[in-house]
This record gives sequence, C-alpha cells and structure tokens, in this order.
Amino acid sequence: MASTNGNGFVGLVLVSHSASIAGGLAELVAQVAGPDVAIVTAGGGPDDTLGTDGGRVLEALRTADSDAGTVVLVDLGSSLLSVRAAVAELSDDEAARIVLADAPLVEGAIAAGVIASTGATLNDVARAAEEARSVRKL
Amino acid sequence: MSESSELVKLPTSVALHARPAGSFVRTAASFTATIEVQANGRQANGKSILEILGLGADGGAELKISASGDDAAAAVAELAQLVTHFS
Repeated sequence: MASTNGNGFVGLVLVSHSASIAGGLAELVAQVAGPDVAIVTAGGGPDDTLGTDGGRVLEALRTADSDAGTVVLVDLGSSLLSVRAAVAELSDDEAARIVLADAPLVEGAIAAGVIASTGATLNDVARAAEEARSVRKL
Repeated sequence: MSESSELVKLPTSVALHARPAGSFVRTAASFTATIEVQANGRQANGKSILEILGLGADGGAELKISASGDDAAAAVAELAQLVTHFS
C-alpha cells in the first residue's frame, strides 16, 4: 500500500544508543539540509537507558514513512539488530521503501540530508550516505 | 562543453559551515556541470557537503569556484552570487 505521508523528499531515521546523540545530530542535519527533509530519531533503549529499542525504531520508521522512502542510519552494533527487528514488523510495501545505509552516523546523515534536500531518489540519498565512508577528515 | 571559474570572497561574518555549506551544495547539485571549489589550499567537489565542510573556509576566505560542463558558466555565476550574498 502506498503511504499517505510525505512531501516528495526522502526522509531520514537516525538510530543511536543515546537519545542525546540522535537528537543533537537531527538538529545539525536540519540546519545543513533545510526544512524539507523529515528527520526522525530513535535514540536510547527502553526506559530512556542507553541502548536501542526495536519498538522505538519501529515507531520512528512508521513516523518517517513516505512514498519517497526513508534512509536509516545507525551508530553501533546492536542498533542494527534493533532496526532489523523493526523492519521485520513492517509490511513488505513499507519495508521496500526503507534503505539501511552502511555509513558512519554523523557524516552519513549530513551527506544524506543535503542530497535528500535536492529531491534526490531513495537510492541516490543512500549512496550519498555511503560515500561518506571514503571522505577523509585530514 | 565549456569551462568557467571565478574568485569570490565569503562575507567576513559567514564561514562556509552548516547552513551556508548546505545551501551551496544544493545549488551546485542543480547544475549538470562538474563543480570544484578551492580554498585554504584545499580542493573540494562542489556537490559533496562533506568535502565542502572539510575546506574549513572561514568568513572572508577567498574561494575559487570552477565548473566544467554545458552549464558551467551559469553554475559559476549563480554560485558566486550565492557566496557573496551569504548572511
């Protein structure tokens, strides 16, 4: 089933063990990417502990869901497991609109956010996130 | 195929960070030409936000914007205009 959400721009879901990391990064990405790109966070575990929570990720994926699609970025190890558990709860149509980017969280989210703000496709936004792996800092 | 380039200065109060850098890359991405920016002895792909942020261009820095491709002249003109009017 098609989604009724969205403004034509690919959205981002940021998953971190820390709600503060996810929230701070969302602020930073919004500043660089502008107001058109939906950025939804899933930070922290159950009871606001440090960790990740499949239920919280599922809620974020559903909030972000749009026809343009969603790129998901994660921080460490078990974030990925939580995302996989959440995606397993989605319908095939919903899951087909999600791409999990193999990218560093901060750089990947910035790159993906800016490219998403140009109206790029889901695959192009995910590729921008993954290109962040090869950009050197020094 | 054409080439074009221009030297511009950032306003003294605006570094090429966050919001201005995003705006630069969004504008650059709307052209088909290849776009490069040089500043501080570094070079960046004008369509890569991470490379543009990596220039570390502070307020007042001089940028060389170069483009190569069919819409190169228009790209350089629009980006130069954007940079000099950042606020």
